[in-house]
Amino acid sequence: MEHLDYDTLNTLKQLMEDDFALLIDTFVQDSTDRISTLRQVIQGTDADLIRRAAHSFKGSSSNIGALQLSALCSALEKKALEKRLEALDVDLDSIEKEFAQVQVLLRSLS
Amino acid sequence: MAITSTVSPDGNQVTIYIQGRFDFSSHQEFRGAYEKLAQAPIHYRVDLQGTSYLDSSALGMLLLLRDYAGGEQSNIQIVNCAPDVKKILLISNFEQLFDIQ
Amino acid sequence: MNDVRRLKILVADDTDTDRLILESIVRKEGHQVVSACNGLEAIQVYSAEKPDIVLLDALMPELDGFGAARKIKELAGDELVPIIFLTSLSDTESLVQCLDAGGDDFLSKPYNRIILQAKIKSFNRMREMHSTMLTQRNQIVQYNNRLLQEQTVAKHVFDNVAHSGCLNASNVRYFLSSLAVFNGDVLVAAMRPNGSMMVLLGDFTGHGLPAAIGAMPLASTFYGMVPKGFSMTDILREINGKLKNILPVGIFCCATMMDINFRKKRLKIWNGGLPDCFIYHHQEGNITPVKSTHLPLGVLSNRAFKDNCEYFELQKEDRIFVWSDGIHEARNADGDMFGEGRLKEVFSRNSNPELLFADIIEAVQQFVGSGEKDDDLSLLEIRMDEPARVNSFAKEASDKFGNSEIEWAMRFEVKPTSFKVFDPLPMLLNVLMEVPSLRAFSSTLYTILAELYTNALEHGVLKLDSELKKTPDGFSDYYELREQRINQVTEGFVRINISHKTNENGGLLKVRIEDSGEGFDHQQRSTDNLSSFGYSGRGIALVEKLCGTVTYLGCGNIVEVAFSWASDD
Repeated sequence: MEHLDYDTLNTLKQLMEDDFALLIDTFVQDSTDRISTLRQVIQGTDADLIRRAAHSFKGSSSNIGALQLSALCSALEKKALEKRLEALDVDLDSIEKEFAQVQVLLRSLS
Repeated sequence: MAITSTVSPDGNQVTIYIQGRFDFSSHQEFRGAYEKLAQAPIHYRVDLQGTSYLDSSALGMLLLLRDYAGGEQSNIQIVNCAPDVKKILLISNFEQLFDIQ
Repeated sequence: MNDVRRLKILVADDTDTDRLILESIVRKEGHQVVSACNGLEAIQVYSAEKPDIVLLDALMPELDGFGAARKIKELAGDELVPIIFLTSLSDTESLVQCLDAGGDDFLSKPYNRIILQAKIKSFNRMREMHSTMLTQRNQIVQYNNRLLQEQTVAKHVFDNVAHSGCLNASNVRYFLSSLAVFNGDVLVAAMRPNGSMMVLLGDFTGHGLPAAIGAMPLASTFYGMVPKGFSMTDILREINGKLKNILPVGIFCCATMMDINFRKKRLKIWNGGLPDCFIYHHQEGNITPVKSTHLPLGVLSNRAFKDNCEYFELQKEDRIFVWSDGIHEARNADGDMFGEGRLKEVFSRNSNPELLFADIIEAVQQFVGSGEKDDDLSLLEIRMDEPARVNSFAKEASDKFGNSEIEWAMRFEVKPTSFKVFDPLPMLLNVLMEVPSLRAFSSTLYTILAELYTNALEHGVLKLDSELKKTPDGFSDYYELREQRINQVTEGFVRINISHKTNENGGLLKVRIEDSGEGFDHQQRSTDNLSSFGYSGRGIALVEKLCGTVTYLGCGNIVEVAFSWASDD
């Protein structure tokens, strides 16, 4: 699986026009916030909270075309749904790493 | 008591309308309606729709009309009679002389 | 390209990225965007902006999409506000939750512009249809309210007009359910001067206003003519004429009219279009039906109107039942009609005639059942009884008219100065018209008086000679001479004597006119002037035909006629 779906990104570029850079910035800021939120909630035992946070991040990453990132969030969401709350920090590490990659790639586009 | 008349476009029929009472006071007007026409009509219609009353002098006037229109050969219809008016005409046997409707 | 008009669309999503993307898509589609970041804000923005379509993220903080959706639907009320849930939830349970909350559709992430475009288009079409439907529904409600209002007014007028009169006589029972009245059933009754009762039950086609419109001239004609002594056929004819004139084709009044003479125990009845009435014979305990043999009122022109009635001799305690078709056509839950068969059964089952009226009503109401609100009954029962036991008017009139012979006479003289300015005939006719029974003969009596007076005036006083009228010009000359002489007359008179006497069967009116002239040789008078068609002489012949006899007295300057009439009850 690719990091980014360039078709999606091209469509977005056409859609946003001059605001494309703004979109990228928004996504980066948004995602950063989400990752720190996730860091917090995985400390606790509220599975629903974890599920929701993962779900949201899944959504926005899919909208931006970050396929792998979205898949990782989906896996985390599923784990939380099934109440398998062990080793979540490992999962989050993967997500963070993937996001770093995506961020670099996105920045190179805008 | 007003007497009006209309003539058909081809001049062959004259219709005389009698409003109100048909009695001796209508005499002049009635005669005038049929005597002074440019062309002598073939059919005569006397429309009594608006006629409220008919007396014996009116019967006489109808006979004058008949004579003027050719007597036995005349072609006169008396139409739209109210029941009371018709009664007087029938009692007087006028259906023998006129086509009464 | 975009073929939807510019809409206002609310985008509520807590993820900035997603919201940004969606806003751009919506704007690019040509619509106006308003945004919210959470459920509560979504509700606020909805209230403030009233967008046409709402795009709502399912999972949001503060208040999630479901809560917001419910509230927004509540705020929208009657109007249709499509709510499209933005969600990457894929499990059926969550989707069901969306729908339960009031969601109309889903849009999944990642957002697809084409799909969103299609959904917007489709929902907008639905919204517009819904809006049209609401407008039309509101119009219908308005019209309906107006209709109901008009019908209330109609009913009010109708109630005041349609059933009054002497229905409170002790031998009369009636039942008019309110739906029946509303459906155009009219019941009017009044006492005639001679103590008989005239009753009319009518059933107008149509309901509400059209029926009320017909009832008014019917009732006013009825109540105007009955106390003046007009006969039932005269009144029917007058009502028929009025209804024919004012009602549109297709609207008419089925009716039964009766003249009930309590003194002579006679019934005269005319049935045009209502079901058979029943005459219940007390002694024998059986029924004579009176069929409808005429067309309803308001259909035929007066010329074609048939006024022949049926006559019955009744006995005390006999009962007459009259009804509209509401009884026969009453339906039960299965759709069966009550019908004449069941009605006859009520009569044959009954053992106490006094209870027949109540039995009939009960039978119909039971048949129809309590579920049906279709009470359309009109029923009238009149029991034959002594005038004294009907009401006080009947008693008085019967005492007055019944046994006595009423007699009066008047004299009137026209003097020279009056001839040219005063025509006594209208005044004399007016006097005669005060006698209720003579009203039916007004034009005949006028003709008689007019011809006799004319003769007396022209030949007797003015001394004009009919011979003059033998030629057309002579005719004119005669009337010119008449005009001349009437202006110059200084002497002479015409005396008019009228006397009237009633008897059991009717009455006799005698008119005698005497003029101041020299008379004529009345023995030589030809008696058949109506078959010889001379221009004059017809007047007296006419009078002869109308009266039966014309008698000359004195030297021919006195003429006497007798007009006899028979009462129609």
